[in-house]
Amino acid sequence: MARMKFLLDSDRCIECNACVTACKNENEVPWGINRRRVVTLNDGKPGERSVSMACMHCTDAPCAAVCPVSCFYTTADAIVLHDKDLCIGCGYCFYACPFGAPQYPRIGNFGSRGKMDKCTYCAGGPQADNSEAEFIQYGANRIAEGKLPLCAEMCSTKALLAGDGEVIAQIYRERVQRRGYGAGAWGWRTAYRETVAI
Amino acid sequence: MKIRILALFAVLMMGAALPAFAQGTAREPSVADEMAIQSLLTGNPVHGRITIPDQRAANLIQPQGREWREFHNVTLAWVGGIAVVGMLAILTVFRMVRGRIPIEGGRSGRTIQRFNVFERGNHWMVASCFIILALSGLNLTFGRHVLLPLVGPVAFTEISHWGKMAHNFLAFPFTLGLVFMLLLWIKDNIPNGTDIRWLKAGGGLVGHGEPESGRFNAGQKGIFWITVLGGAAVAVSGYMLVFPFFFTDIQGMQLSHIVHSIIAVLMIAVMVAHIYIGTVGMDGAVEAMTTGQVDLNWAKQHHNLWVEEEMAKGRGAAPPASAKAAGAD
Amino acid sequence: MLIKRSEARAGKQRLAAAYSGLSSGGLDRRAFLKQAGVTGLGLSALGAIPLTTVRPAKAGPTDFSTPVTRVKNICTHCSVGCTVTAEVQNGVWVGQEPTYASPINRGTHCAKGASVREVVHGERRVKYPMKLVNGQWQRMTWDAALGEIGEKLMAVRQASGPDSVFWLGSAKFSNEGSYLFRKFAAFWGTNNVDHQARICHSTTVAGVANTWGYGAQTNSYNDIRNAKTMIIMGGNPAEAHPVSLQHVLSGKEMNRANMIVIDPRFTRTAAHATEYMRIRPGTDIPIIWGMLWHIFENGWEDKEFIRQRVYGMDDVRAEVAKWNPQEVERVTGVPGAQLRKVAEMFATQKPSTLIWCMGATQKTVGTANVRAYSILLLATGNVGREGTGANIFRGHCNVQGATDFGLDVTSLPAYYGLDENAWRHWSRVWGVSYESMIARFDSKAMMETPGIPTTRYFDAVTMPVNAQTGLAQRDNFKAMMVFGHGGNTVTRMPEAVKGLEKLDLLVVADPHPTTFAVLSGRRDNTYLLPICTQFETNGSRTASNRSVQWGSQIVKPIFESKDDYEAMYRLAGAIDAAAQKRNMTFRMQAEVFKDLEIKDNAPTAESILREINRGAISTGYTGQSPERLKLHMQHQDKFDLVTLRAKDDAPAEIRGDFYGLPWPCWGKPEWRHPGTHVLYNTNLHVKEGGGTFRARFGVERNGVSLLADGSFSKGSELTDGYPEFTTAVMARLGWDAELTEEEKASIQRQGGTASWATDLSMGIIRVTMEHGVMAYGNAKARANAWNLPDPIPVHREPIYTPRTDLIAQYPTLSDRRGFRLPNIGQTVQNRAKDLAPNFPIILSSGRLVEYEGGGEETRSNRWLAELQQDMFIEINPRDAASRNIRDGAWVLVNGPEMPQGKAVKVKALVTERVGAGVAWMPFHFAGWFMQEDQRSKYPQGTDPIVLGESVNAVTTYGYDPVTFMQETKVTLCQIRAA
Repeated sequence: MARMKFLLDSDRCIECNACVTACKNENEVPWGINRRRVVTLNDGKPGERSVSMACMHCTDAPCAAVCPVSCFYTTADAIVLHDKDLCIGCGYCFYACPFGAPQYPRIGNFGSRGKMDKCTYCAGGPQADNSEAEFIQYGANRIAEGKLPLCAEMCSTKALLAGDGEVIAQIYRERVQRRGYGAGAWGWRTAYRETVAI
Repeated sequence: MKIRILALFAVLMMGAALPAFAQGTAREPSVADEMAIQSLLTGNPVHGRITIPDQRAANLIQPQGREWREFHNVTLAWVGGIAVVGMLAILTVFRMVRGRIPIEGGRSGRTIQRFNVFERGNHWMVASCFIILALSGLNLTFGRHVLLPLVGPVAFTEISHWGKMAHNFLAFPFTLGLVFMLLLWIKDNIPNGTDIRWLKAGGGLVGHGEPESGRFNAGQKGIFWITVLGGAAVAVSGYMLVFPFFFTDIQGMQLSHIVHSIIAVLMIAVMVAHIYIGTVGMDGAVEAMTTGQVDLNWAKQHHNLWVEEEMAKGRGAAPPASAKAAGAD
Repeated sequence: MLIKRSEARAGKQRLAAAYSGLSSGGLDRRAFLKQAGVTGLGLSALGAIPLTTVRPAKAGPTDFSTPVTRVKNICTHCSVGCTVTAEVQNGVWVGQEPTYASPINRGTHCAKGASVREVVHGERRVKYPMKLVNGQWQRMTWDAALGEIGEKLMAVRQASGPDSVFWLGSAKFSNEGSYLFRKFAAFWGTNNVDHQARICHSTTVAGVANTWGYGAQTNSYNDIRNAKTMIIMGGNPAEAHPVSLQHVLSGKEMNRANMIVIDPRFTRTAAHATEYMRIRPGTDIPIIWGMLWHIFENGWEDKEFIRQRVYGMDDVRAEVAKWNPQEVERVTGVPGAQLRKVAEMFATQKPSTLIWCMGATQKTVGTANVRAYSILLLATGNVGREGTGANIFRGHCNVQGATDFGLDVTSLPAYYGLDENAWRHWSRVWGVSYESMIARFDSKAMMETPGIPTTRYFDAVTMPVNAQTGLAQRDNFKAMMVFGHGGNTVTRMPEAVKGLEKLDLLVVADPHPTTFAVLSGRRDNTYLLPICTQFETNGSRTASNRSVQWGSQIVKPIFESKDDYEAMYRLAGAIDAAAQKRNMTFRMQAEVFKDLEIKDNAPTAESILREINRGAISTGYTGQSPERLKLHMQHQDKFDLVTLRAKDDAPAEIRGDFYGLPWPCWGKPEWRHPGTHVLYNTNLHVKEGGGTFRARFGVERNGVSLLADGSFSKGSELTDGYPEFTTAVMARLGWDAELTEEEKASIQRQGGTASWATDLSMGIIRVTMEHGVMAYGNAKARANAWNLPDPIPVHREPIYTPRTDLIAQYPTLSDRRGFRLPNIGQTVQNRAKDLAPNFPIILSSGRLVEYEGGGEETRSNRWLAELQQDMFIEINPRDAASRNIRDGAWVLVNGPEMPQGKAVKVKALVTERVGAGVAWMPFHFAGWFMQEDQRSKYPQGTDPIVLGESVNAVTTYGYDPVTFMQETKVTLCQIRAA
């Protein structure tokens, strides 16, 4: 059984933001909702590294654990999705998420933040695959079409890998062995409670 | 904290510098693993620079989420569960041991005004808000385990959604009511020597023999201060959450939530006792907040000093409607 | 757990099964899909939408019953040349898929490439022609607009002559559009035709061509994978060419290559370097000479290569001797030990490549910089082999092609220059008489005089006409035709405003209004013509590595926009109508479009390319027929990632070709020359893409031979240097007999003599190739380019330098004239000396990954605009602290040439990316001008989402003497908290 993961090779990421706009393009994500983002650590100093981050689709996902209405579900590929029809916009998933993945359409507004939105691993939502309703609420469902998330597919330097955890870990492992350095698979320990042993 | 951040930078720099150091010679594979960074972090978020205006997004990893989850799913559930269920248990035991506290000497038939209309109205506004806030709040923590299996996801979301809306909006009248309570009752709630005696005597709840008490006894003063101070804490921390990121960052909001929920469940437990003693637990108590007129005997039993004060002021007890004024015949 | 989806399960399981069987080799989606048994279907489309003028092109969910067609085009942003695969449904571009087949981008994109679909949504594009009437934009029809423009152009022509119209073309044109625009200007009768190459790599083209023959990237992005050492100097490809970093980082990883970044700014590229060297802006030549000092000192140079293939290296040694480590450190701030280390790596851990961009070129010493870089490559023998070379990263998507096709004030298409031979050659190609071309110009002299470059157009509007002290042509510029060029990309914007306001006619033909439409206080005689993007038309474009890629129309031009071909065709017609009305015999349309196939009121791209194939012999743009290019696009997956060569399993008609037939691709398409992946590569036969340094500068100088010494391309019958071939050289070798009768007849028709580059039959090339010989000759590269102002590059302080103490020793060049205008650099430098203390911070500028060029297009793209919402200035924490500037706060920046009391207001980005005393601003912003918000001046609905101050409001005087390249990288400024 495939276990879908993201792996970010920070020695390759150049903060080109292709992943960000690819996500927006593919899912028609509105202004202000950032399902994926690139953060630069150590900006301007030797050792500067950029990391592209979105929902990591965690093992034992904290968002799902704390959701008061249990709107999250995990697919057979271990993709963590949620049902916007059940979401009440309470914001608990944002408190629990280690990666800042959940987004709300009306941040700061009194009363309600609206339904939470986050990276779907380009796997849509609970509606019928590639239906109009699914697209409007969640965006594309590339997984159902046998494709991978567009952010990773379009990553300019192939820093962002998506796919079965073992496959991408192997790619990364080989890459690190070939080049002799690697800053680790970002977020893996937090998300999957494991790391890529080289 | 600073030292930790510096150490983190050192690790990051080392990771990058290694290839440079090894230049020209065969490079040893080196892994500046995320684990090393994480272990140094122990509570500090990994923060960077981002171009979008949403600066919260510059937080790459916030490990506190894990602690918050632990709090929410474990600590809060236990504390809340123990507090609320525990209080119910105590009250049950108390009821069984003590039974309903009667009015000593029975009702006199004469009443005395304990709370005026405004006081009562305000009390009930706060009380009703509190009950809805408490239920909707408890629902966020326990509902998925208790209610969801009963009603199913769609109905449960509907309930939770309206519960959340109610929770957010009722926060305002609740807070306003607390302010009124404070202004109305603070002068009668300043602790004094009587309270110590009252407490020493166990408030008359354990054993017999009612200790002296003013308008409010030490127990009621406690409720008052728990309500006012606890309510203030719950309100302030709640507003932090209702206006996300307006006042504080994610860590502040997690902390607010912890404060909010812990105080709230404790208050709920206290209020359960308050409700018990104010209604079914004590004969003659509930009229104070319904008609505002309490039986004189009840008042003398529980608030003898206050009754004396009132009498002295000439605002004596009103006879029952059927009673005729002396000499009227 | 809540799982409502039941029907999706099957799909998911298939996917999972596919993965479990996948080897660890990589994520090849093709194999993956095959195993998965899933065919990718397009996603997100609108249902049937009528093709109305204003068409909402938002994506929606896919209607799977409507077929999705996939169309390949090339990204319209930078020069890397990423293939864009569009999914089209009912004429609407509904989705974008990665193109794994392209050997250049292998499915990937940068932020811009991944969001190009938005360009064709066109929310903020110019939707119909408009003109400014008393300060208000008014809608009009194409016919009415072109009619008025034609009238006004002819009025200018009658009153002031053809040189009073400035034709500003674009690096965003296709090759065909570029060529057509240059031809159009030639038939109008002026050399005042230019484009963005002037402000990006004109100095590269001049410097490199003067060194070894052609002004282009010698190798390719892919070939960087072969390098063992790479220096990236004056470039930030991580932001400017992100997909190129895929190749750079792969090279770095696979070869464990040294990746050295030399730059004043710690860029995102530097973040991935193995060695970063921070230099003072404007000291590139001392750095290179300092490296060469160590190389010569230690004997690390490639002596055999220099002996065989380089002329004048001893003259370089004399100059380099002055740059001992102490002097280099004094001038550049770089310690000797680091320089020595880098020099040793570059010279000894070969192959080494030098990558540069606008940090090298946009300088008053741009040409000299580029020459110095080239000399470093020559001295270490790093040219003409895999993994080596001058990997010059060009800017816009087709800046290479537009340069090749002479959107340039100094040349006709394909670098023929402007002399009589060049005009005669192109007259023959165009099927018109040379005399008729002369008649279109003011005079034969003006016909052969380079025109006025885009960096100075406003000076040509305002400067008095005077051949000695002012403008050397009949009259000032009166009209300006801007096809695809931003108004904020040229320095000295306050001066530009004055120029724009004085013009009689300003026409902006562009998908967006551009800064030109709002910058000045013009109230009338300003037209906007909606031109579509290259996604909405057909044509080829040349990537930086000289590969030519064919882009197919994805959707029909949206709104009322037209492609460049149609706009030019109809404009020619409008000009003719105006001429007819004036009883003038002057005609454009029938002549310019004479041999072209006209369909739907526009010439077809294919027919234009065929005309190019007939005439652009000198650069080998002759083998790239539309058919071959389309085949390459169709079979992209058959080309090798590193060698770019079509593999053995490729269809026969492309087997062995280099991807995109990188020029030179000699001879006729049917000869199947494979194109040239690596220029000047003697290890390959000329028929296989091999070559030698070009013999452009004669055979000897001062008794020293300029021809190669014992070096020759593989299989050559001539085993020594030789000059370029003409009919005379052919006759001397007795090879003329091998020309076919047809070829001989063709040469006879040309007058009996021809050079290889003017022989329309291409017989000379055919015969020489049969002998394994390069028709353009086999010469030495020139370390000494005696025709340039500085034959050996020397350090010259920037005009506005903080090191005024160095001006006496390293002054800028003396005042001189060029391009019909004076260049008073030294006068300005002498004045600037006294201003320097008031402006203590060096200001440099550059690119952001999210935006492109002047930025109107990208700042209008909501997916990109969200990522960079404010114009900013990078300031070192030290400078910020001493000025009480906080990160993110507003600051005012002013420069020494700004009007008194004016400043630009931008946000501070306090960062150690820049060193102390240096500030940096991106150049893509416009729409605020010296604190005036000009949003209301845009036609309604066309204002870009993000506006900001332009860095060029602050930049100052300074022009490279050879190309009039502007100085954007080093000037001075002062910053204060707002």
